[in-house]
Amino acid sequence: MRELPSEQLDPRIKSVWRINDAIWIILCFLICFIPFAIVGSVEDESWVTVVMAIIGAFFAVLAVVCLVVLPPIRYARWRYQMSEGFLDIARGIFWRKRFVIPFIRVQNTDTRQGPLMRAFGLSSVTVATAAGEHEIPGISTAQAEQLRDHAAELARIAREDV
Amino acid sequence: MAGAYDEKYGVNQVPVPTPAPQQAQPSVAPQAQLGGVAPAMPQTAASQQPQPYGQVPFQPFGQEGGLPAYHVHHSYIWLNTIRAVLAVLFIVMISSFSSVLAVIDEIGYSGIGMVGMILGGSGVLFLVFVGLVVLVHVLAYKRLYFTLGPNEFSLYSGIITKKRVHVPYDRVQSVDARASLIQRVFGVRNVFIDTAGGAANKAVLVPSVTKAQAEWLTAELYARKRQVLAPQPTAASASPQVAGQPIAAAVAPQQPTNVLDYGKQAWDEVGGVFAGAPVQEMVPSFEYGMTNKQLFLAGLSNNTSFVLLVLGFLAAVGQVADFAGALFPQQTDQAGQALDSLFVQAADPLVGMSIAASIVGILVVLAIVWVLSAIGSCISYGGFRARRVGDRVEVERGLLQHTRQSISIQRVQAVVVKQSVIRRLIGYCEVSLDKIDAAASDDAGQQKNSLNATGVVVHPFCKLADVPAILTGLVPEYAGIPQDRTPLAPVALRRGIIRRCLIQGGGFWLAVAVVIIQAIMNALFDPAAATTMREAQENAQLLALTNPICFVLYGIALACFVLELVSAIRWARESGFAVNRQFMKVVNGGLSREERSFPRTKIQYGYARTNPFQRLSKVATLNARTAAGIGGTTVSLWDVSEEDADAWLDWLKPRS
Repeated sequence: MRELPSEQLDPRIKSVWRINDAIWIILCFLICFIPFAIVGSVEDESWVTVVMAIIGAFFAVLAVVCLVVLPPIRYARWRYQMSEGFLDIARGIFWRKRFVIPFIRVQNTDTRQGPLMRAFGLSSVTVATAAGEHEIPGISTAQAEQLRDHAAELARIAREDV
Repeated sequence: MAGAYDEKYGVNQVPVPTPAPQQAQPSVAPQAQLGGVAPAMPQTAASQQPQPYGQVPFQPFGQEGGLPAYHVHHSYIWLNTIRAVLAVLFIVMISSFSSVLAVIDEIGYSGIGMVGMILGGSGVLFLVFVGLVVLVHVLAYKRLYFTLGPNEFSLYSGIITKKRVHVPYDRVQSVDARASLIQRVFGVRNVFIDTAGGAANKAVLVPSVTKAQAEWLTAELYARKRQVLAPQPTAASASPQVAGQPIAAAVAPQQPTNVLDYGKQAWDEVGGVFAGAPVQEMVPSFEYGMTNKQLFLAGLSNNTSFVLLVLGFLAAVGQVADFAGALFPQQTDQAGQALDSLFVQAADPLVGMSIAASIVGILVVLAIVWVLSAIGSCISYGGFRARRVGDRVEVERGLLQHTRQSISIQRVQAVVVKQSVIRRLIGYCEVSLDKIDAAASDDAGQQKNSLNATGVVVHPFCKLADVPAILTGLVPEYAGIPQDRTPLAPVALRRGIIRRCLIQGGGFWLAVAVVIIQAIMNALFDPAAATTMREAQENAQLLALTNPICFVLYGIALACFVLELVSAIRWARESGFAVNRQFMKVVNGGLSREERSFPRTKIQYGYARTNPFQRLSKVATLNARTAAGIGGTTVSLWDVSEEDADAWLDWLKPRS
């Protein structure tokens, strides 16, 4: 296969992913766990304990996979490159995708920042076409602004050419 | 006005791509384009006039922003009133009928006067309601008008909250006119102007204009669009080039080509009460209808017929199974005496007769449903005509509910040639043009027409061999579609069989489910394991009933599997893609076949996708994303060899 695009995301995005996933996992865990905990506190039945143990084990595995195993792989697989006329993105762990997004087709570009991203000083850049948009999730805010302007500029120049 | 436009699209934003016609018309060399302008000059000159199509069939009632403002037709008031009142009346009648009867029953005939009073009172209430509805519609009518400005079409509406919609002419993607049966009787239409802009893509609805007004509005919008685009030299050459082509290629326009066309012509002659005189339009450069044969075969081979074919096949399988049971009762005897009972019954001539009779009954019902659905689709395609007028494609159809779609050639996203299973067997196909669809309009009910689901159908049923002629006439811009084909990687055959027959294979999973169920049944109701004699007998009878059913299901699963196998093999053999400088073509074969060609400029973005197994086999899935449909369409092709996928990604990159 062809060589991968050169740019990588900011390494801090791994922490953002981890925190984000941790919040979701804890929420789901509580939703599943609390009803059984209540039942267990009222009635002392052995099957409740077993179910609680299974739920605990399941979420423990999920947490290890999502917080320890996946972020570095995901980070390593996420690459992008902004060439003269197009945006090149390679991502995905099992289902690997390689995108070519010509700037002539880009309708708008913007930067987004959630509270978590802001805490880490990261931003994401979104590039929208008439048939869907693409997000480059974690790069430093200054770099994101630069990237967005660059993308918008390339899109404008490309348009004038066609 | 430009300000409103800028507001809508934002400042930083690059507008929706208006592909230069140069891209859509790649086959013509620049010199040829220049040459083509000269003979067509009268056409261009005519389109430069403010109103190229003679008299405006509208009476301006006033001014809005210095422009004459036009009302829609007055049938907007009373047709909508009648519809609303009838609906309310119907609901009231249904809901109050029984209670009125009960009241009469309770107070007896002495109380008739009272009933009369009640009825009279409700009558008055009803009249007040009708008055209100009329008032609302009159007010809405007064506030509903449109203007044709120098750069944009504006529609003003709203009784309390005033709403104005501006459509810049160069953003007009398609103009459709639709008429329900009642509207048709009165000769009025609803016009939908589609701009294909933004995420909340809504068509602008101009309700209740007469037929002549609708036609004029369509022509006028396109003429003004051309005029707005005219300063760009490439845009100006687009329409004359086509209009300048010899009209000899056109089918004689007004000759009816099938029986339903006579009905359509009758409609046209009567026109409806307020239709108005037909508008003198530009001469279409290419036009065709459907022949009798095409119309009826199209009806008979619609999608319902495939379902019916499958049902008929299943019924036949059932019959054969029964017949086999009747012929060989002894062979199936081995499993035990009790198991045999069903077959003994089947072997009984009376029972066999009744089974055969019921199957015949099912087949007759299926045939009736088939014919009805065929008639339905014949009527919906009645009066079908497709034509090329200037730089737009127009399609008209519907004997009762009439639809007239027109789409600007620059807005066509792809040309699709589709063959369903049955059409494939007889060598016919459906040709359609993909466009960006409006998500929903104010009048959502009429948009939900299944025939609209796949863009604009420019020919519902034609011979595969006729497709090039149709495309050359209708969309000459697509003449450069590549004819060759890059086949799939050789490993696609194996992968296709595994994917279509096992992973996505209905037959395989049916067999698996039946095996599991049968195993569970046989384990639970094992006659040998039964404790009492009676239980053993019951279990044996139950199994004697369920096991043959399971075998019939195995037969069905096997049939499905074979069909899927054939489909997978054909898919691997026929599928592929082709690219040249301007176009990409993707062919996905199998029992049915779909061929989709689109200009490179209409690909919004593309990606190659691989899963771990594909990486092992060194193949990838190509995905080209276009803006067609609602929110975009992905055209996929599985199992292209890695080198081809790489070359394709390179092809996608813009050339400097």
